[in-house]
Amino acid sequence: MTTGETTGDISSPGFEPGSGTVLEAGSDARIYDQGFRRYDGPRTGLDGALRSLVKHSLRQALGLGRSARYKLVPLPIVAMAFIPATGMIAMAALIPVGTEQFLPTYAEYYGTVAAAIYLFAGLIAPELLCTDQRTGMLGVYLASPIDRPRYLLGKAVAVFLLLLVITLGPPLLMLIAFTLQSQGPDGLVQWLEVLFRIVASSAVIGVLYGAVGMAISATTDRRVVATAAILSMIPGSAIVTDILVGDGGLPDWLRLFNVMFLPRALVFRIHEERGGWSVLDNPTWTLWLAFAAWLVVCIGWIWFRYRRLLVRR
Amino acid sequence: MPTAVRSEPLVTARSLVKRYGSVPVLDDVSFTVNPGVTGLLGANGAGKTTILGMILGLHPADGGELDVLGHNPWKAGRQVRTRIGYAPEHHTLPPDLRAAEFVKHVAELHGLPPDEATTRASDALWLVDLGEERFRPMGTMSTGQRQRVKLAQAIAHDPEFVLLDEPTDGLDPTQRDVMLDLIRHISEDFGITVVLSSHLIDEVERVCDGAIIIGEGRTLASGTIEELKGGDGVGVALELDAGDEAIDRFVTELQRLPGLMVEGDSRHLHVSRNDGVDSTTSSDVLVAVRDGCADHGIGIVRLERRRLRLEDVFLRSTQ
Repeated sequence: MTTGETTGDISSPGFEPGSGTVLEAGSDARIYDQGFRRYDGPRTGLDGALRSLVKHSLRQALGLGRSARYKLVPLPIVAMAFIPATGMIAMAALIPVGTEQFLPTYAEYYGTVAAAIYLFAGLIAPELLCTDQRTGMLGVYLASPIDRPRYLLGKAVAVFLLLLVITLGPPLLMLIAFTLQSQGPDGLVQWLEVLFRIVASSAVIGVLYGAVGMAISATTDRRVVATAAILSMIPGSAIVTDILVGDGGLPDWLRLFNVMFLPRALVFRIHEERGGWSVLDNPTWTLWLAFAAWLVVCIGWIWFRYRRLLVRR
Repeated sequence: MPTAVRSEPLVTARSLVKRYGSVPVLDDVSFTVNPGVTGLLGANGAGKTTILGMILGLHPADGGELDVLGHNPWKAGRQVRTRIGYAPEHHTLPPDLRAAEFVKHVAELHGLPPDEATTRASDALWLVDLGEERFRPMGTMSTGQRQRVKLAQAIAHDPEFVLLDEPTDGLDPTQRDVMLDLIRHISEDFGITVVLSSHLIDEVERVCDGAIIIGEGRTLASGTIEELKGGDGVGVALELDAGDEAIDRFVTELQRLPGLMVEGDSRHLHVSRNDGVDSTTSSDVLVAVRDGCADHGIGIVRLERRRLRLEDVFLRSTQ
């Protein structure tokens, strides 16, 4: 263990703090020596390394343990995602009956906080991937037991968990609050069903935007460029597909490349609700196929980039 | 983690070959790294960082054999990297990250539990004299402090050996002395073997027990510093007291002897074997000089064994 006990008289000339010297017992004094020494205690192995990578990435993206200016962007975005939910909970508390007539459904909630989701997706993947390339941390990681696939796995888990904070957090909060206000689903089975739909919807959005964000961030080591590219690509895909299909007369399935509305369309399918977007004109299986295709392309591109990436050492 | 002092080599390379595409980087590199401090010496671009990367198992060899702690590092990279500490050459560590958090994180990556990592990060930073500065963001630190943070993160998880890539780069002479003392301290007092990659000959000579000289992708020389410098000396250094004519005759006669080389100006001469570094021949040279001076009636003001500096070895190797 690194913290050893040294017994003896601290006024003895032979005593050196931090030296690790064990003195002859001369009194009942006990000194906890804090000096550097060899370590023969337990080791956590690769699982511990991965946990550390994920934890460190979460703290990095949210600016935790850093000065206030590193929290200025991520924390307000998280707040943006939660503010409508708290407002709705407050309205439900003030108007106990009939709120379902004017409050958005769980599926519609993602539209309410779409801006926060896009901004967060555009922020965190570049922060986690581009910064590591630029600051040489990637070289430090790869000189540890973490290899490239595990590095990417750890970062993907961190990106996904961060996106869940704003995709899962607010609807989950609403579900719990509405339930406590007796305005939630009737019965345990229905409650669990809604919970499942909320978790699945949040996961779909988190996985897709996480993958797109990581794919674009894997292309450059410049964080600002990656953020700009992600924030352009999401609405850009909607504009381009609308022009191609609406004005260009191309097949309707091209709307499946609309990464802005594809995940939200899937959310409506998961909640078995109807939405007003043309992407929903496609059968459900094509939506899932497009979702899978996006994932395959993004993961393939990320691996292609990182397999070849020259690491600065 | 074994903490006993090893006696066998930690790294053995035999005829290593490495190419990037069609560009050869290493061609027939052989060396061993023994316990202590070993300098990896070579000009910029000689392939030092590539060798460090291969030891870490980050690049496969295109030929030859590499054994690190009993493993092929390319096949058992994770096991090898768990037991090695590495300090990169670059200084651009995350500026917003506090030194203690960075060192702790790297210790955790090498398998230390979080509580132990916290304690050892603190201990390692105190060891490198950054105890008071450990909660400062690294972006606010000087180059010397960042170099010491890199050293601290390399040793915090208690590796069997550490690879330090240009650890004195960007340091002023005072900071350099501190860093070299720390490196010696880590090796001598904690038994951690150090591989010090550098292009600065004097610092390798000062702190290293052995050196590997790399140039043009080849091992130009390797061994202990004493072996490289010629063991008990190479030849003699002379200061003579005689007329130019007598000295010229003396020099001419010496040069006629097979295998001897004479350098220097008229009264200050270096006499050595011209077949390179050979520690066994110094006595032969000494006898030849003594007899020649006696024969020509030349007074000897100073006569001593001439010891090579590592710089001489390096220059000879690279010529």
